[in-house]
This record gives sequence, structure tokens and C-alpha cells, in this order.
Amino acid sequence: MRSSPTGRRRWRWPLAVWLLPLLMAALSVRAADTAPRIATLDWTVAETLIAIDARLVGLAQLDGYASWVARPAVPGAVRDLGLRAQPNLEQLAAIAPDRIALSPLFANLEGRLSTVAPVEVFELYGPGVDTWPALRRVTRELGEYAHRQGQAEALIRRTEDRLEEIADRLPDKPPAVIVVQFMDERHVRVFGKNGLYHAVLERLGIDNGWTGATNRWGFALVGLEALAGLDGRIVVVKPYPVGVERALSKSAFWQRLTHGANRDPLELEPVWSFGGLPSAGRFAEQLLGAFNAD
Amino acid sequence: MRTEVPARSVAAPLGVTAGLFAVLVGLAVWQLQQQTGGFAWSSWWPDLGGASVSAADLALALGWWPRLITALIAGAGLALAGVLMQQVLRNPLASPTTLGVAGGANLALMAATLFAPALMGWGAEWVALAGGGLAMGLVFLLSWRRGLAPLVVVLAGLVVNLYLGALAMALLLFNQETLQGLLIWGAGSLAQDGWHDAAFLLPRLAIALVIAWLLLRPLRLLELDDASGRALGVNLAFLRLAALGLAVFLTAVTVSVVGLIGFIGLAAPNIARLLGAHRLASRVVWSMLIGALLLAVTDLSLQHLAAWLPTMIPTGAMTAALGAPLLLWLIPRLRLSSRTPPETMTSGWPRAERPARRLLVMALLMPLVVAVSLLSGHLADGWSWVSGAWTVWEWRLPRLLAAAGAGLLLAVAGTLLQRLSGNPMASPEVLGISGGVSIFLLLGIVWMPAASTSMLAALGVGGALAALALLIVLNRRSGFLPERLLLTGVAIMALAEAVRALVLAGSDPRGQQIVAWLSGSTYYVGLEQALLIVALAGVALVVALLLSRWLEIFPLGAAVSRAVGVRVTGGRLAVLVLAAVMTAAATLVIGPLSFIGLLAPHMARLLGLSRARDHLLGAALIGMGLMVLADWIGRQILFPHEIPAGLVASLIGGTYFLWALRRF
Repeated sequence: MRSSPTGRRRWRWPLAVWLLPLLMAALSVRAADTAPRIATLDWTVAETLIAIDARLVGLAQLDGYASWVARPAVPGAVRDLGLRAQPNLEQLAAIAPDRIALSPLFANLEGRLSTVAPVEVFELYGPGVDTWPALRRVTRELGEYAHRQGQAEALIRRTEDRLEEIADRLPDKPPAVIVVQFMDERHVRVFGKNGLYHAVLERLGIDNGWTGATNRWGFALVGLEALAGLDGRIVVVKPYPVGVERALSKSAFWQRLTHGANRDPLELEPVWSFGGLPSAGRFAEQLLGAFNAD
Repeated sequence: MRTEVPARSVAAPLGVTAGLFAVLVGLAVWQLQQQTGGFAWSSWWPDLGGASVSAADLALALGWWPRLITALIAGAGLALAGVLMQQVLRNPLASPTTLGVAGGANLALMAATLFAPALMGWGAEWVALAGGGLAMGLVFLLSWRRGLAPLVVVLAGLVVNLYLGALAMALLLFNQETLQGLLIWGAGSLAQDGWHDAAFLLPRLAIALVIAWLLLRPLRLLELDDASGRALGVNLAFLRLAALGLAVFLTAVTVSVVGLIGFIGLAAPNIARLLGAHRLASRVVWSMLIGALLLAVTDLSLQHLAAWLPTMIPTGAMTAALGAPLLLWLIPRLRLSSRTPPETMTSGWPRAERPARRLLVMALLMPLVVAVSLLSGHLADGWSWVSGAWTVWEWRLPRLLAAAGAGLLLAVAGTLLQRLSGNPMASPEVLGISGGVSIFLLLGIVWMPAASTSMLAALGVGGALAALALLIVLNRRSGFLPERLLLTGVAIMALAEAVRALVLAGSDPRGQQIVAWLSGSTYYVGLEQALLIVALAGVALVVALLLSRWLEIFPLGAAVSRAVGVRVTGGRLAVLVLAAVMTAAATLVIGPLSFIGLLAPHMARLLGLSRARDHLLGAALIGMGLMVLADWIGRQILFPHEIPAGLVASLIGGTYFLWALRRF
């Protein structure tokens, strides 16, 4: 810093003057903020924490979050902890969070991580879990955990109100939908019971065309042929894997499946399929957008 | 006799083929009846030209039928590739899977998806072909010096498969979501969405078949030895190259379309041979029929099951899982040992004048390695050469100890096995103990979603014991003949790979956890466990040193051993159990991968440490040093992301392997 070039020095004063009020405001907030500093490995916990403005200080695989969850964006001060399955302990210890939040997915790390800070596990998805109440519960729990009860309640209210609004603005009798994400040109994850999309569809009053079995995260991995004969409009959650769009344009089966009036698939921008309330809200918005554009 | 042999050689394969065909037709009719609710051919083979085509018709015409036909073609193609490889190499265990072709194709496709996606659009089959060809070339390079002896080829194939698998794991660890589709491909799903795959495969299989037919007569000469072949005026090198090239082409074309289908290429030709098809031409015909029917029957059965499960079971991984028991059954029926000269272990290695001095130098280097790994490294706010704070050591010390302990255990286990078998390519991975551990752990992670680390450790021990029991039961009768032992290990490893493919293809969000453990990290070790491992390693080393007289004698062969009064069977069993226990302990810490057990004994030999005691001590020191370094490097280069020590060790080990090729 000391040897910064003179060119940059010229900017110092204007920049400082401009930044000063901002800095003061931030400091006054931060100084008063006694909320716990939280680190987490789980992207779903992270998106909820960010949405309720919790003091998130560390998150695993920032680049993965950016490409698979995307929004809400991670605040600049959050440090990368490395891989989700093997967060960097030295980094974590240096950040010294007050609390570490996990999901059952990484529960086996509890022993390791609890030497750094107390660990709490937040369970959202599981067999037989009623997803929407679970989303509400976990959001409230995280609100309490992060000392952001008010924001958590607001997030729940905001999301539920918005979903109601969207339900009103949907076409009168919305067709059933089959929500899929492509794995390769012949296999999709199809989302059903126990999953985020299913819970959102229920609240919007849209039928889910996939009534078959799903795993504990609310999807089934199936070949495309499993989609034939199902009643409903196909909704594809992007991204398409490499080369899949081109392969689909040549696939006799896919062409036939999506051929005809009101059968071409709706495409949604990427949403985190195993997310929390923020992802639920985004999915609903995108669905509305896709129906409107149709 | 003369009239009986040909009669039998047609009757038996014919019976089995007809049986398989009947099962196939039965399953097919059953499924068609279920899907259409009747027995009308017009509804079984729906006409898509009509105005109103129902979804069920669509699924039948563009999904079910193409899938059946593709399965038949793919099965035939892989079987033909297997026959060609087995004929050229005079090796009943050669196949696309065992020669590394499939693993090479897998890695090439992954790398292309990540780094050159344009290539995938241009022609995935060429990417697969290049990867498969290179991998097989590598296997040949590794086994060239030993005259491509069957066992050596299979072991080299396993080593190459492990190496390529380690590379694939590294890519997977950081790109799980992007590579999800390839995981399904890697498990071999035959799902179809039209006729284009069948239309792609059929002409290529036909061309390959014509070429194979032209090569048939000269290929028969390969059953003679090289000199007689040359005397008959055949260009053997060209012939071998052409036949192998054809086999690789067939494999690459097939797997690029339907994914990795394990073991059809190994099983079909061997079944045909065991049923009495001895002449090459009849082996080609029966193998292709049996291969086609086997794959189609497996696939139809799995489609039946799929309706009940929330996840699919890919056909390729299933055939591989079924193939492992077949391989175990096949091993006692092969005559192998006569062909492998045990010369490499006793000759051609340097011999140090004063081994004690070399050991001392190595021992003096250890504190340096330890110091670097304990003191230097990335901190949250930058690189630091020396950091003495306990807050930092607290994290580094257990990992250092665990890496050192695991490295020592694997190195000594590898030395034991290499001396036991007289084979420089024997290693703990090859014994299948680590395979047993990973099978149990994988299933544990899948079925017990919130299992604690200690529960997983208990499962791992169970897996090691199961594998050891299998090894003992299957090899007791042969008196623990080293070649048999290693092949049993190959079969267990194949099963482990099938389980891995199945689990990963299920697109489970826990995939990363599985991959992280499979690639072998010291991450999960606490201080107490680390101390335990070090203590165990120390005890094991002492026990191994006590056995050094046996280890001096075993490489000389069973006859010499008996002559000097060593009880061969008991001695082999003792060494085997010791090696297995050591491997199990190390695998629990560091995962099933790592070439330390292969590498360290080898490097110790290269340094001229030829006597058993020196060899053990040297390998132990090298193993410790390498593992500690691998762990340290893995934690630094992508900070804060960690590359597991096992992966780094595999990559270093594999590279060394290529460099040391001339030794084999």
C-alpha cells in the first residue's frame, strides 16, 4: 500500500470524501451489531441468511454458489471456505466465526467443525417432510439463530404475499406442469413430492404432472421416456449441459413429446433446486414470466 | 473323439444362446403386453405416421424398441472387441474394461466437457476413441518388457484404470454439477430417444465385422508362437496393431453412444470358450450372440425394476457388478502361472554397496519434510514460511501424523505384497482390500444419510474384513498362489468401481462427500486417531521386520522356499493378513486411492535397497515422506480449496510410473 503509484494518490481525497459518509453509516450499524458472525457450508442456509441480512462471514465454494444459486448475491466480505465436503479448517479457524450452520448433508463434519465454533444443523429436506412449513420453520430458526427474527418474518411474509399475487396473475386454469432439469440429452431430474418446486406449485395452485416416486431431495432421475404419457406442460430449468440443446433438436422422441399446440417446453433461468425461500420466490417469478411470455 | 468335439462345441453354446433368447423374448413379450394391454402386433409396433399418436405409442416406438435393438448391437460390438483383444494378446482376461480403454474414454470425455466443449459437439466418439487408445497404449507400454504376459497386462490395466480414475476424481471433485450427465454416461444407461443411436452403431459394427472376418485367418496363427507365425510369412506387428485398433474403435464407438458397459466384452468371449467354442470363427459368432443377448436381458430386467425405484439403475454398472462374481468364478479355471516369469524381482535392479548409509540419509531428510509441512503454508491472510502458533499447528499436526502413518502402512503393505508375489506391480489397491472398504462405505453413506464418522469407520473395517475373508476363502485351495490373489483383488476392485458408478450416477447431492472420501484425504482425522494410526504403523513395521527372512526367500519361488524349510502356505497367509490389516487401517484414513503402496517399495528397490530389511525400512521412509508432502502440496496449491492427499499422491505416483516404465 505504501508504494502505491502517484496516479492513484490523486483519487484518494475525492474517494475518501465520497466514501466517508458511507463508511460512517456502515460503522454505526456494525458497531451496534452484536449479532453472531456465522459461517456455513450449505448454499441453501447461505441464501436464506443473506436474504435476512445476517452476518455471514464464511461460505464454502463461492464460485459454485455464484453459478448454481446466483441470487441473492454473496456480500463482498464473505470469505471462501473451500470445498463444501472439506471446508478449509485453517481458514475457518482464522475467520473465527461465532457459529457454524450446517445441513444434514454435511452432518458428519459436526465433530471436526465444533472445535472451531458451536455447530448447529438445520434440516430442510427429508422423506415425509411437508416442504412449505419446513421452509417457514427453517427460515424462522435461522432468523433466531442469526438474531434477525424481524427480517426472517419479513422474508416469509414477503415471499408468501408475492406467491399469492403471482397465483392471482396466472392464467385462470393453469395447466399441470412437469418440472425437469437436464442431466444429459436422455436423462432428466424430474421434481415432485418433497421438493422445493413441488411446494411452490402447490401454493400457486398448479398441479404437478409428476406423481411418481422421488428421493429425499424431491426429485427422481429418469430417462426421457418416463415423461411420455404424463399430463402437463414441460418446464425446463436451465442450464442445459454441454451439447444437450443441439442433441435435443435432433431427438425424434423429444421433438414428438414437445410437438403440438401448447406443448413446447417453458424454459426458466437457473434456480437452485434444493434452495430455501429466496429460491422458491425466484422460481415462482420465473414461472409467471414464462407463462406470460408464452 | 474327432467327431465328438465339433458336435459338442456347437451344441453347448447353441443351448445357452437359445435359453438366453427365450428369456429375452419372454421378458419382451411381458413388457409389451403390460405397456399396450394386449397381444396385437399393430399396437406393439405402433405406426407413428398417423395423425393421433398416443404418448404410450411414442414411448414404445422411440424409446423401448430402439433401446432393445441398441442393447443387442452394443452387446455384440463389445463382445467382438473382447474376442479380438483376447486373441491378439493370447489373454483370456483382456477386455475393453480390463485394458483401460473404458477408463481412458471416460477421462477424455470429462476433460473435453470441461475444457473444450466444442469437441463434444463435433464428435464425442472421436474424443472417446483418442482417450481409449491412449490408455490402452499406456497399458502396453507398462507390460511390454514382460512380453505382454496375461497377468502383467491385467495388473497394468488395473493400475492405469486407477490412475485415470484418480484424474477423473480430481475433475469431479471441483465440477460435480457440471459433470453430472457424464456420471450417468459413466454408469452406462441404455435409455434411447429415437433410432439415431442404433442407426449410428449398426453400420459401424457391420464394417468392423467385415474387417474382423478378413483378419480371421491370420489371427488364428497367433495361437502359434511368434516364430512359427513369422515363418508362415505374416507381418505379426501389423496384424496385432490392426486387430487391436479395430477392437479399440469398436469399444469407443459403442461406449460413446451407450456409455460404459462393463464386462460384456470380458464375459461373453469367456462364456463362449468355456461352453466349448474353441475355433476362432465359432468364438466370434457365439460371443457376439451371447454378448448381445446378455446385455439385452440385463437391460430388460432392469427396466422392469426401474418402475419401483425413485432412482434408476444404469445397465452398464449393473453388468459390471454381475461381472465381478463371474470373474471370481473364472479365475480358478485359467492357466496363468506358467506364463509369468518371475524374473524382474530378482534381477535387473541396482544393488547399493552400503544400504545403511542410504537409509540414514533418507532418515535425516525426514525432519526437513516434517518441518516444511508443519511450519509453512497458506494462512487466511497470505503465505507464511514459518508460523509457530499452536492455533495453526492444531490443524496441521493431526494431518501430518495421519499422512505419515498412512504412508508408512501402505508402503510396508506394498513391500510385503511385492515380495510375496515377486511382482513389482502388486500393491494394496490391487489386493482388493481397499475395494472392500470402499464398497461398504459407499453403501453406508447412501443408506445412512446422517452416519457419524465413527460409524463409517466401523463399516470400513467390516468391508476390509469381508474382502480379506473372500480372499482367503477363494485362495486357500491354491495355497495362496500370488497370481490368483492378485486377480481376486482385481475382481473386488471391479465390483467397487461398479458400486461407485451406481452411487454417483444416482445424481445424489451427497456426491461431493463421496468423491471427497474416495479421493483420500487426511481431512477427517483428529489428533487421537492420528496418534492411533502412527502407533499402529510402528507396530506393523516391527512385525514386518520380524518376517524379513521369509520375505528374503519368497521371491525365489515356492520350491526354493520349501527347500530351505519355510512353510509356504502358512507364511503366505501370515504376510497376507498383515498386509490386509495395514491396508485397511490406511484406507480408513486416506481413502482407497493412492499409489504409495506401489510406488514406495519400487523406489526403494531403485535406490538399491535389495535385502528385505533394508527394502522395508527404505519403503517406509519413502512412503511417509511422499504422503506428508502430497498432503502438504494438496493443501497449498488451490487454497482455500484442498486437493486430497490421496489424489496428489496418485498423480505424483502415476507420473513416476510413466517415467520408470523402462524398469518393468
